[in-house]
Amino acid sequence: MRNFLKLLNFEVNRFFKLYLILIGVIIVSQFIGAIVVSKGFMDRADQNQLSMSQNVKEYFSFNYFFDSEWFLLPVFFSIAMLMIYVFFIWYRDWFGKNTFIYRLLMLPTDRITIYFAKLATIMLLILGLVALQILLIPIEIQIVNSIIPTDLQSHFSFYHFSSFEIWGWMYPNTFTEFILIYGVGLIFVAVLFTAILIERSYGLKGIFFAIVYGMLSFGVFFVPIILNEFSNGYFYSLEVLLMIIVVSIIVLGSAILIANHLLKYKIRV
Amino acid sequence: MIEVKNVEKKYGRKRVLKGLSFTAEKGEITCLIGINGVGKTTIMKAIMALTPINSGEILIDGEKIRKESFEKITFIPDTITMLPQMKICDAFAFMADFYKNWDPQRAEELLQFFKLDSTERIANLSKGNMAKVNMILGLALDVDYLLMDEPFSGIDIFSREQIADVFTSHLIEDRGVIITTHEISDIEHLIDRAVLIDNGEVVKEFGVEEVREKEGKSVVDVMREVYRG
Repeated sequence: MRNFLKLLNFEVNRFFKLYLILIGVIIVSQFIGAIVVSKGFMDRADQNQLSMSQNVKEYFSFNYFFDSEWFLLPVFFSIAMLMIYVFFIWYRDWFGKNTFIYRLLMLPTDRITIYFAKLATIMLLILGLVALQILLIPIEIQIVNSIIPTDLQSHFSFYHFSSFEIWGWMYPNTFTEFILIYGVGLIFVAVLFTAILIERSYGLKGIFFAIVYGMLSFGVFFVPIILNEFSNGYFYSLEVLLMIIVVSIIVLGSAILIANHLLKYKIRV
Repeated sequence: MIEVKNVEKKYGRKRVLKGLSFTAEKGEITCLIGINGVGKTTIMKAIMALTPINSGEILIDGEKIRKESFEKITFIPDTITMLPQMKICDAFAFMADFYKNWDPQRAEELLQFFKLDSTERIANLSKGNMAKVNMILGLALDVDYLLMDEPFSGIDIFSREQIADVFTSHLIEDRGVIITTHEISDIEHLIDRAVLIDNGEVVKEFGVEEVREKEGKSVVDVMREVYRG
């Protein structure tokens, strides 16, 4: 456990500079966006007032901002960066001038600890960004409020915000949903990690095995959902949930077991 | 004792190690000699479980390698095993963090012996100095066995001398060392046993002193006999 925490700390530190840059990009882009979008709206509102051609008063909806590139691009950029890092977190130890993987694999600790530490690192980085976004939104609302008088705004609450499709995924309303959604995320990353280790253990052949393994894992994972679709509601939703939990344990468990075996007996540096 | 028994290793269809066997004793320096591409590095990786073998067995003091073994045996590859952005002192801190057997005092002594500055970033070191740091990372571990892969390759003459000095010092004395090289001349006077490898097999294994005394031959003489037939 102590070695796990040390490795976790080490892995987080390795990404930290880039992480800070990512955080900086999000903050700068979203804050500038809040100002630009609000100012743009006020300019239009002023023109409308001057021309007097429109009696209909336009209200500012926060969606103008939350749907703008200023807000969304850094979010998608962050997601893309973290997706890339899921691969890079392993491959960086093999490639380049240094061969740090030698050191990692020669640590007097179970090698699977390396896997867990990298997995936890990715999850921490994701949750960190999600938390950052939660903190930023009220500030961005304040920025908008300071530019656009409230009587020109339509009603907005954070509840509305999180009912957007993808935000609903990122910010679940209940704790159970939170566990489910981020649990699925965790399994997804774990399966990718194991696929990477398959490639690292078997080389070119490994790419093929890794793809087969990945497809198999996701196939098994979706069995309950597909079963539910085709049975026209034959199962109670609690039963479906139970099935999802069972296959999740199977998929995650096998990902860890395979990774453990590969790291112990098959890995190549 | 490190026992390598009948180890076979294939890369695709190519058999790199063909049932290779030898032993290395504690307190002795065993040198694996052979031309490039003969499988010397692969043997070391196999001993450290850094590459799988197709058949055979490798034992360290009668046991297969497990996580605890890494406090007992260490490997110094020919590239540095720390992140280039780390300072030397960061690398040492990392080692101290994970290894019970890390001896910070010895690391410090070696640093002074090699005249290195601990605040220097690894990425900024010359090749020779990087090799020295890499060597310290292994030597400052209180292990019974040390594996070194080509410690002299691509290093200037004075660094070579410094590294060779380490071999005759108390830092090596009681340990078992396996070293690979394709240029024997640098270390001929240091080694106790020589294992000549060709084509994935051991072609001759002998005590250097014994051959010198009984047959009046140097390692190079024996090599000439073996490789030139």
